[in-house]
Amino acid sequence: MQAATMEQVEEPPSLLWGLDPIFSAFARLYVRDILQMTESTQVPGIYFYNSHPISKVDVLGTVVYKREREDFFCYGVDDGTGVINCLCWKSDLLKGQEDPGKSKGQTSDGALRGFNPVTELKKLRQSQQNRCHVEIGELLRVRGPVKTARQQREIKASTYYKVNDPVMAVQIAWMMEVPQLYRVCYDKPLQLHPTATGDPAISPLSKATNIIKNFCQQKSVTRFRPYDVQDLLQPLISTGPQTTSADMEPVAGPSASQQLRQLVKKVLVMLQDEGLIYRKVKSQDEVYHVTAQDKDLLIAVKDIIKEDSKREKYAEKGCHILHILSAVRQRYSLNVSKAALELVLKSLECNSDIVSTSDNHYTVF
Amino acid sequence: MLPAAAVFHFPWEVNCGAVQEGESVRTFGRWVFVTKGHRLVSYQPEESRATLSAQHASKEHNVVIHTLFVEPFNPIIGAQYLVLGETENAEGVGVMVHARVLNCVDGVNIALLQKAINEQRSFFRERECKQGDAAQPADAT
Repeated sequence: MQAATMEQVEEPPSLLWGLDPIFSAFARLYVRDILQMTESTQVPGIYFYNSHPISKVDVLGTVVYKREREDFFCYGVDDGTGVINCLCWKSDLLKGQEDPGKSKGQTSDGALRGFNPVTELKKLRQSQQNRCHVEIGELLRVRGPVKTARQQREIKASTYYKVNDPVMAVQIAWMMEVPQLYRVCYDKPLQLHPTATGDPAISPLSKATNIIKNFCQQKSVTRFRPYDVQDLLQPLISTGPQTTSADMEPVAGPSASQQLRQLVKKVLVMLQDEGLIYRKVKSQDEVYHVTAQDKDLLIAVKDIIKEDSKREKYAEKGCHILHILSAVRQRYSLNVSKAALELVLKSLECNSDIVSTSDNHYTVF
Repeated sequence: MLPAAAVFHFPWEVNCGAVQEGESVRTFGRWVFVTKGHRLVSYQPEESRATLSAQHASKEHNVVIHTLFVEPFNPIIGAQYLVLGETENAEGVGVMVHARVLNCVDGVNIALLQKAINEQRSFFRERECKQGDAAQPADAT
């Protein structure tokens, strides 16, 4: 009882269900678990096993009960842990069974002529019918959504068929596989809390990098100093002390301003690694240039390629990126990284200022 | 109404366990899924009674099956069968299984089936242990 009430409390909001891969899969649960899982209070027809939202299941078991109605069969399926009712609608194939006698003449004709699609189709339908007629004691596989009707849980079969298993190979394989599935998927709790999605160490950092990227793009910033962007990241520190405390534990409780400075440092390193910013001159005054907005750098690179492509050595293939890099470092700034240069080359190429002749080679026409 | 779930049991468990458990099995209406390479050794159609036998730990284990519900069936002496049914302590014969399903599964890989059953059991045992551990601190608080 206690477990049941606890699960109810922990029911994740329906908006997040889709993030659980089990939600859109046919879960191979034991019948016992299907009978015991709690129904969602938000959306009837969705159930929770270990706070995983379950919409449809996949069951294999022996038929121990059978009832036939005009439109459907009701099979009791026993998988050794429980018995569940399966509502299996008859297809039109099963209802229209008078046809075979009517068209007997045609079938013999077809047999004479060899391959006849009509007879083949008939054979296919016949075997399909046989597969849908299940007797007590036979093995049945059912997939479909779970439903609760008159306080009884049942599976509304979307697919069902008889399984031919004379030496129990299918059953044994199933019995070996299902515990494994439980251990790997169903019994593993899914962390769907919006604050803790993904790697906790990355999420605040990636948020911060996105903020800076957007800022540079929207305001067409050409260069900035760390304290210019520090205020932008302030909200990340003040709103999420709990989330950041986990991954900053080794620092032994730094103050908010220290945390902020550290975050800015990390973000700047990341942006430099990506080549989005670089420092033209390494001095006391920390000035970061935004690569994409640095017209001087663009012109410098273009000029280098234009000049060097004329040289005999590069005339045929164009200049290699490493050659351009060393030239840029010699003539423009020592601190331009390869990543930054790649960005510059890409934007120049997009404007058709330069042309790439092959991988990593560029020229100007 | 649906019958209760038929849990897998090895033939020697039916035989040994039934002496102590026979009564409770019947009163609680529990159903037993008997398996593990039973070979049909005899069949008396006039009494609707068949005997399946299995070897385990160098001992021969016999299980008497009441076959009234599954007749007519094709008895193959020496073939392996899977029985699904209810156990009952019958006078004179000891434990008898009222078969609801009697399937010939001759050629089944017994060792693998036994492994699969044990796998499933150990999984449930593991899970119950875990749930017990989880429930205890919850109770304490």
